[in-house]
Parts: sequence; C-alpha cells; structure tokens
Amino acid sequence: MAKLPVSVDQIIEKYGPHKAYAPKAGFYGSHEPDKLVKTHCCYCGMQCGIQLKVKDNKIAGFEPWMEFPFNEGRLCPKGVERYLQNNHPDRLLDPIARVEGKGFEPVTWDYAMNKTISEIERIQAKYGRDAFAMLSGVSLTNEKSYMIGKFARVALKTANLDYNGRLCMVSAGGGNKKAFGLDRSSNSWADLAHAEVIIVAGANISETFPTLTHYIWQARDNGAKLIVVDPRVIPLARTADLHLPIRPGGDSALFAAMLKILVDNDWLDHDFIESYTSGFQETIDAVKDYDLDWAEEHTGIPKQKILEAATLWGKAKTSFLLHARGIEHHTKGVENVLSCINLVLATGRIGKPYCGYGTITGQGNGQGGREHGHKCDQLPGNRDITNPEHRQYIAEVWGIDEKDMPGKGLTAYEQIEAIHRGEIKGLISICFNPLVSLPNNNFVREALEKLEFYICIDSFLSETARHADIVLAGSLHEEEEGTVTTAEGRVVKINEAITPPGNARRDGQILMELAKRLGVENKFNYATSEDIFNELRVASKGGTADYFGITYQKVVDNMGIFWPCPSLDHPGTPRLWEDRKFKTPDGKAHFNPVRYRPASEVTDKDYPVVLTTGRVVSQYLSGTSTRRIGKLVDQYPEPLLEIHPKLAFQYGIKDRDLITVKTRRGEAEFPAQVVETIRADTVFIPYHWGGVHAANQLTIGNLDPISKIPEFKVCACQLIPTGKVASALTTKNAYQSGV
Amino acid sequence: MPETNYDQEMAFFVDMQRCIGCHACEMACAECETNGQESMIHVNYVNRAVSVQTTVQVCMHCENPACANVCPADAIHQDDFGVVHSSNTSRCIGCSNCVLACPFGVPKKMEEAELMMKCNMCYDRTSAGKKPMCATVCPSQALYYGTREEIERMRPNSVPVNSFKFGNQEVKTKVSIMMPKGTHQLVIA
Amino acid sequence: MYRLFKTLNRVAFIKATIMTILVIIFVLIGSRNLQNFDPALIAYLTGTVFAVFGTSYRYSVWIQRPPTRLYRRRSVQFLFSKHFFPYFLRSIRLFIRNILFQRFIAYRSRTRWIGHFLLASGCLLAFAITIPLTFGWINFILKPGDDTTYYAMLFGFEAGSFRLGSTLAFITFHGLVWCSVLVTIGAVIMMKRRFTNGGLIATQTFEDDLLPLILLIAISVTGLGISYDYTFLEGKTYQFMAVTHAITVILFLVWLPFGKFFHIYQRFSQLGANLYKIEGSRRGMAVCPHTKKEFASQTHINDLKKVTKELGFDFSKEDGSNHLDLSPEGKRSALAKAHFEARQESGHFFG
Repeated sequence: MAKLPVSVDQIIEKYGPHKAYAPKAGFYGSHEPDKLVKTHCCYCGMQCGIQLKVKDNKIAGFEPWMEFPFNEGRLCPKGVERYLQNNHPDRLLDPIARVEGKGFEPVTWDYAMNKTISEIERIQAKYGRDAFAMLSGVSLTNEKSYMIGKFARVALKTANLDYNGRLCMVSAGGGNKKAFGLDRSSNSWADLAHAEVIIVAGANISETFPTLTHYIWQARDNGAKLIVVDPRVIPLARTADLHLPIRPGGDSALFAAMLKILVDNDWLDHDFIESYTSGFQETIDAVKDYDLDWAEEHTGIPKQKILEAATLWGKAKTSFLLHARGIEHHTKGVENVLSCINLVLATGRIGKPYCGYGTITGQGNGQGGREHGHKCDQLPGNRDITNPEHRQYIAEVWGIDEKDMPGKGLTAYEQIEAIHRGEIKGLISICFNPLVSLPNNNFVREALEKLEFYICIDSFLSETARHADIVLAGSLHEEEEGTVTTAEGRVVKINEAITPPGNARRDGQILMELAKRLGVENKFNYATSEDIFNELRVASKGGTADYFGITYQKVVDNMGIFWPCPSLDHPGTPRLWEDRKFKTPDGKAHFNPVRYRPASEVTDKDYPVVLTTGRVVSQYLSGTSTRRIGKLVDQYPEPLLEIHPKLAFQYGIKDRDLITVKTRRGEAEFPAQVVETIRADTVFIPYHWGGVHAANQLTIGNLDPISKIPEFKVCACQLIPTGKVASALTTKNAYQSGV
Repeated sequence: MPETNYDQEMAFFVDMQRCIGCHACEMACAECETNGQESMIHVNYVNRAVSVQTTVQVCMHCENPACANVCPADAIHQDDFGVVHSSNTSRCIGCSNCVLACPFGVPKKMEEAELMMKCNMCYDRTSAGKKPMCATVCPSQALYYGTREEIERMRPNSVPVNSFKFGNQEVKTKVSIMMPKGTHQLVIA
Repeated sequence: MYRLFKTLNRVAFIKATIMTILVIIFVLIGSRNLQNFDPALIAYLTGTVFAVFGTSYRYSVWIQRPPTRLYRRRSVQFLFSKHFFPYFLRSIRLFIRNILFQRFIAYRSRTRWIGHFLLASGCLLAFAITIPLTFGWINFILKPGDDTTYYAMLFGFEAGSFRLGSTLAFITFHGLVWCSVLVTIGAVIMMKRRFTNGGLIATQTFEDDLLPLILLIAISVTGLGISYDYTFLEGKTYQFMAVTHAITVILFLVWLPFGKFFHIYQRFSQLGANLYKIEGSRRGMAVCPHTKKEFASQTHINDLKKVTKELGFDFSKEDGSNHLDLSPEGKRSALAKAHFEARQESGHFFG
C-alpha cells in the first residue's frame, strides 16, 4: 500500500517541509561551542571543508575551515546554511508506520524491523527475489554506498539495486569508461590555474558548484580564455570571453563541428594520436560533413562563434574542458561526452600540467558513490557484475558463493517502469526522492502507488517517503563517520559531529540490523565505519577505482588522497594519465566516432517550444533538506519559467504572468520571468520542487541507450497564458510540494 | 575601543564583476555575531530583465562618512582604525538619514526596531584577527580580505581604487574596489 | 583651560546657565525659601544642579548640528500644523509606547526589552521620587498632637496624608527600594548579555557600556543598604551606607551629560522622526529613477540635499540631478554599472 494514508496537507502539517531559521541570537552555545568538528559540506561534489560547532550534542553553527586546500573557507549559500538540518523541527526522531486514514505514527524499532523483514520475506517468497528492489543515493558516504551494494546482493539477494547517480553523471561515466577505461575526472582542479583555454559545457558552475568558480576566475586572472556553452547566459557566462548559446540537444553537433575545424586546420597533436590513441580515423570520418553552416543550423549558435571557439581551443598550449549535466542529461548523453573527449584527445592535452578534462559530479559523493557497487551493473572498485573474474574476487571478499551473487539488475528509471508494470512489488529506498527528481513524475507516482510494500530510510519525510509503509529514521551527513570522494577524485573524511537525535539511528546501524534479521549477521560485522572502509579497500584492490592504499589516517594527515592509490606507500594520483597508460583493454585512449542525432522529442507545431530544466544556487537536488531551510527557500521561493522577451511577446506574456506549460506527459503553471538571458526558442524551469510545482511533471523519461540517463534537458512543450498574474500566495508554499 | 587584535595590514577589496550572485555572503553575514542573524551585506540584480549581473555591497568605510555626518543622534562612530561602526543602539532614533545619504546605499533601517544597522566589517571577527564572514566564504572572491601585497600578486592587471566620484562629490574609502590598471577613481555618472 | 574656553559653545553656555539659574529659582520657590529643604541632601542638590547645567549645555550643542537642527525644526513645524491633533495624539501614543515602555526594543530581542524596561522604569520612578525631595518640593511632616498621621507637603501645601504603619505608608517610604529592585534585575539582565553575546563583547567599551550598568547596580545596592541598615541593623552602618550611596549617585549625576545616560534625552527625538516620516509621506514620496519604486519622502530627500551641502558634501550632478535622488538599491546598481563599464572599456574583466 504505497498510497498516501491521509491528505498531503495533513502530512505536510506534521512533517513539513517547514522553514527553519536560526534563532536571532544564534543557537545556544554558538558563541562558546564544546568543540569544532572538521568535516565537509553535505551538498554537491565539491565537498568543501567546513567546521561544525557542537554544543551539548547539537549543531550550533559553523566556522569556516581555512586550511582545507580545495576551498580555504569558501562556501556557497547552501554550505553556510547546511548546519540548520540537525536542529530541524521536521527531523524524524522515531521510526514511523503508515496508518490508513491517520497518517504516520511512531513505532518501536523492533516493530518496524519485524514488519519490514516479514514483508521482504513475503514478497520475495511470492514473486521472486528480484521483485524486491532497492534504490539508493550518492549523497551517502563511500562506506554506506559499499555496504548498500553488499546488502542488496548478500542480504536482500536482489539483482535490482540502483541509485540516483543514474540521474547524475552516468553518461560521463559511460563515456569515460569507453574512452579511458576509467571513470574519474582526469585532473584535480589545481590544473585549471594555468590553462590557456577553458571550455565549460552544460555546467552551471556559478550556481551548482559555486566554490569551483574561484578556480575559473583564478585561471582568468592568469590570462585564460573562458568559453561557456549554455542555452542561458549563466552568471559564469556573463563576462566570458565567448558564450555559445546552444539550442538544447545540439551539443554533439557543436563538438563534432569543432573537431572538423581542428582537423581542417591541422590543430592536432599527431604524435599523441599516433602513439597513445586508437579510432582516430573513423572518428574524423564521422565528422567530415559537419561544416560551419551545418553546425549553425543544428546548434543554433552563430557560426562565427563556433569557429572562434574551435580556433581558441585549437591554438592553445594548455586547456581544460569541463562538462556536467547540461550535456549528460540526454538520450545521447554518452555521445555528447565522447564528442568532448574527442576534442581533448585530438589536441593531446591530457596527462600534463594544466591540461585537463573532467565531468563535474553533482552529488555529494557522486564520485565515490558510483565506484563501489551500488549501481545495478557494478561491484566494488568499479568492477563489472557480469565479469566472472570480478564476481569471483568480490564473492571471496564477501565470503559468499559466486553463484549466489545476483547478476545485473534494472537501472533506476527502469525499476520504476518495472514497478508500474507490476514486476517489482516491494521497494526499499535510502537517500533518494524519485517523486521529485525523476522525469515524468506523474508516472512515478502511479508506480509508487502500485507497490505492495515500500520502506524508506531517511532523516526527513521526503515527497517520496510520504508514500512509504514504514519510514526508518536515519542519520544526517554529520551524524555518521565515513569518507566521500569529491568530484576531483579526492577521498576526504566525514566526521561524526553528533549522534542522531531522539530515537533516530545511524544509516549504517539500520542496514546492519536489517542484514542481521535477514540472517546474514556474520557478513555485516562492523564495529566502526573504519572497519567497513578497510573491507572496501580490499574489495577495490586491483579494480580501476583502487582505494587499497588509502587509510583514514592518511586521509586526515593529507587532507584528502586522490585515488587510484594501490599501495600504502602510494601518495595518490591527482593527475591521471601522466604515464599515458590508459585503462582500456589495449592501453590506449579511444576516439569514438559520434554522428549527430536529434533529441528524442523535438519541437513540432503542437509543442513548438524547447523546454529545458536545471537548478538554482539556493537548492540542492530534490530539496529534501534545502526546502526546509528558511533562508534558502526565501532566496528563490518558487520555480519560475525563464522566457525570452521575443518569445514572451509572441504569446503576450509579461513578467510574473502565470503560464501553463504543457507537454505530452503533463502540465503545470509557473510564473513567467521575462529575461534576455535565455535563447528565444527555449524556456527553462528549475526542478527542485514537488507536487503542483514540479518541473518533472513535464520532462520525458526516454533514456540514453548506454547510460540509461533520462533526457531531462530537452523536451517539447507548449505555453498557454492563463490570463492570471502570479500572486505572492503561490510563492508562499511552493517549497512544501503540496497540491 | 575594547582590547583588539585588529590587523591594520589587512584590507578589504571588492570586485563586483566577479560576483556570481550566489548570496553566500549574505547568508554568512547573518552569522556575524555583531548583527544577530540580520544580513548587512547587499546583493542585488542590476537589471535582471537584461542581465544576470549582480552587485555586492559592503560598507566602504568612508574616510569622512556621510552617514555619521548626517546622523542627528551622533549614533555612528568611526574608530581609530577607520572602521565605521553600526549605529549605537541607545542613540539611534531610526530617522533613516544615513540610509538615504550614504552614496553607496549601505545602511539598512530595521523598521520595527526603529534602528539602523550596517556592516561593521565583522568587527567581532576582524578584531580577533579573523577575516570577515562574507570575504571568507565568497566563492568567487568578489570580496577579498587580505594584504595589499597579496591582491597585487594575485591580480596583477588590476589595481585597488579607493576614490569615488558621485556628482561633484569625491569620496575616499577604507575599502577598495578592483579596477583596470591605470585607474585612479571610479566615476559614477 | 584655555582650550576649553576657546572651544566653548557660547550659545550653549548661555542656555545652560539660564537653565541652571531657573532650576535654582525653582528650588528656592518650591521649597519656600529652603524652609522645606532637607540640608542632608545638599550634596545631592549640588550634583543635580551640575547635571542640569551639563545636560543643558550638551543638549544645546547637540541640537545646533545641522541634521539635528533640521529635525527639530521640522518636528515643531509638523506638529503645529493643521494636523496638530492627530499628530499630537500620535505623539502621546508613541511617547507611552516607545519612551515609557520602550516597545521598539522588543523587536531587537525580547529579553533585552524586559531588561531595559525594568531598568528604565526603575530609574524614571526613582527620578520622580528623588528630584522633588532633593529640591525640597515635597516633604513629610507630623502635625503637633497627632503622631500617627503623616502629611505629605507639596510646595509647602498639604497634598495628602496617611497613617503611620499603613500599607500606603510602607509602599511610599519604600518607593526607592522598589526602584532599586527593578533597576538591579534589569541591569543584571543587560549585564549578562554583555558577557555572553559575542557581538557585544567585540564592540562594547568599559566606559560606555559596562560602567553605566555597574554604576546603576552600585546605586541600587547601596540604596538598598541604607534601607537594610535601618530596618535590620538599627542604623549601625548608616554613616557608611549613606556616604557610599551619595558618592555613587553624585558620580551618576556628574556623568549624566557626558556618557551613555544622555540617550535618555535624545530618545525624545524618535517622536519627531516619526512625525517627519508621516508628514513626509503625506506630502509625497520620491521615486527612484533606477528601481522606479517609492523609497522615501521627497521632503526627506530634499532636506538631506540641503543638510549634506551644509556639512560639505555635494552630490549634485552636472545635469541638475543628484546622486541622492537614487534609492539605496539604485545607488548600488549605479556603482555596479559604472564599474562594469570601466571593466568593459579596458577589455578585461579579470586580471
């Protein structure tokens, strides 16, 4: 029964989201805390260092951590406000159970656990083991990610484990594995400082990774030229040397055309191509017809600008190419990524100082979380669950028979589809709010309502958790020790500042208890987080993501260690490929031919406008925690429809007019924000809100064939002015995801 | 003034063209203990309809502060370091003269409390040898607090300017703004 | 000494002298030629007279400053306008709300308001009791032949009576005790803030912020000491208590014109500021040319242009407009635009 037990409003009244603010004079003890705990921000892949003030086992505030090398005290607004989660009135302090007609009621841990186990056993006995699925998230530490991978395979014995990284950087992972045989940003951010040219493609750094801005600006102080590829003039693009206002879906066309210009002008590193790469000829054959006129037509960017960008890139001696969800959230996400890598390989600018390439991972542990086996096709150390040797090795580490290890399961969105078809009957989720973050969320809601049993582990009652039968009160980032791996591949230490409040428990403790009751206690005997990490080290040994040489002590002493780090005396690897030994089977970096193809849904006369989605600086992902922090909500209270004055004029739309945006999947009303900073054929809506304000009611669930990432960044929509002007009232409660 | 570790070598530099409008400074400002969860820094769009340009404004700490001059209650004090402090709460009568006379648009009137508050360069932090909150957290370093040598080394093609012209009035400030090399004054037409 | 004369504000000196003489005259008249004056209070009287001189002098200097003068002029002008009655009533209401009850402080912090209210109420009540006593305006007598009834004399006229040992007598004779209790509680609350609030610790000074509280507590405690002495110790320590109390009070009085306590007088101008705002908005609001929104009264902007000019600032521009025509947000945007243009002209946003 995964329908709401009572009305949404009744649930919201009790469990929020409610906006929390610090008391006027600060929290008790903020002036003289008991201790300052060095840890990291829980939001985004930058993992900025921060010190939390603790008083009487409560978070009382924060103090910048000036010594941590990546951010040296710098933070974004989310980082500054992150400390407000621990004292939050919406925190779940007990396990709660769904009671039809009454909502949720607190229950004992024993009851919650018994109920959970009996339902798991019932469903698996009746429908098969894979009918019980697990969804996880990569805001969790490496330890938890690893343990969840093991828990699903060893305790639940289900093949269907996947994670919300599927909405994050899987396209980049897929592309990187194809090209380099390894999935990590090739460089640390330090290599940005003296890059002559920096291309930022589909990465709203200024809003989604604000603290990385410093590195870009530093490079520009040193003379770097900045090229920003984005349909909108994002803050980073405002002063950029070159802004390429691309039509959503045109990325691979742009990079293919740029590659052709490099070839035509012989701006190539022939030695590098010859000695260390393969597939070059097929790749340039694929782009030979993509001239500038063609490129202008397919990207919507004036050809002069494309030429200028290719020229800057072609002539540079050092360079850095960064991309993020803007080019990855596509049904051709992997191809977009590969077309970027082709530009990097053609110029040979990798594995050298100030020559870099990388995706910017979005989630807190987007990097580490995607390496240690909580993907449906993966085992620790970025091993392959279908590879017999890999299976054998991990089976030994886990102490199980290889034959008992489930095989490859369904990806996140495919799981939802399988639930909708009635193939998956039970679900356990942690750290994932698919009802806000997955595309076409009316479909997701229908799916959730079909579940026979849904159990959720979370510290707040998210929009998805409202549908749960049992919610186990879990822990925050600052309530459990562990490590995370930042977007640049740096493993850093998360310290436990406080214990979970009330009867809430550490996530790790909850998983261990579940495993015990599922009869595999002996496989989950960890006294500390470090025990889990030490097992992870062994499990990752020999894999591409090799953590064996990393220890807690080493991480603390060095303020982070870059993987791969295969042995205890190894210093870690901030810059990959200096040895030119790529991790592909032939040891070479692979060019991959990319032919442009359009997005899965293009505009037509019924749906004439391109809709793209993204984020704002004050919110993080599905907003489960950031939509509960007062000042972050107030900074950008409701999703707005960004629209160019030319397009607005066609429809007679003025600023703050309420517009119905309709796609083949759904419709919703948004206030217009008429701005010249977006393409005239495209509208933009940020996606952090649920309920009637959810942009993901409109987006499309079509997936990339390789990475299975949904196409959040392009679909076709129509605009229907409602004739009303948005009132302050609509703004007021958008953060609550009501109806 | 109370016992202090205020370091006169340290200075405040602003370059609003680096600002990405993230409001981290604004959130952090509220953590400064002298202003009790109220933000004193201003971040606003210059004209959102045409650009995402934002501006960020801290108190510039004028050498001859207009705010203190126009205060009918003698509530604004400039200390020996040149820091212009927030209004003396016992004196301020909430008249808003300073709010309207400041050429940089800095002081804020707290309407219900009938009190003006303004940036005091995080005096609780700077007097303890720490950097102000806003400049510490600013991810774009549009706000920078450090020595003159440091800024000159990091931004060799820019120069700190602390002279402004508003109409016929020249204003000199303690806080500097980063300008292209060769500039001596920012003229606000 | 020479410098003192050189910087002497003549107008203020004359006004203060007149005030002082007036007070002395009132003392003489009110006490029926010192007939009802209690010689034991001579030190207090001297202190009070000095405080009157000092406070008047400082007040006079203060209101000579251009912005203050303008505010004062406007306040009088607006009060005695055709809206006299609504403005007068409003001022009375605000006087009660903001001067007697200091409600505006509650918006800064509730405990801070409680502390300040107790402290201020205690002080004001104490002034109301001690000043008439010190000036000899009030005295209490026993009438011959009746040793159980006390008569309160105001300016030498009988103003009331109460029986000795009655509740009323107890309350009246212990008035200052009650004041001391209020002041002490209030001062302790305020003092605690000053020791625990990081912001205050960083910005407060001993003489401006701590000394006044210490002084108030000292007055209260020594005052209570006198009462304690004659209630429980049969006057054994009277001499000591009386002298220390007198010293603290006189210190307070002498310091009144110079230190923090002067804000008691300044606070009244808050009423004027309020009238100024109301009448200003009645006369018309200024619209910011940048934000296109109303942001202050046009009267206020016009007055400020004059005041700043008097103070040596000239924000007027060549086209006849003025930088002060912009709202605070407009000013910030103007600066940002100028900076953007300068950066753009140079060809480099960075470096």
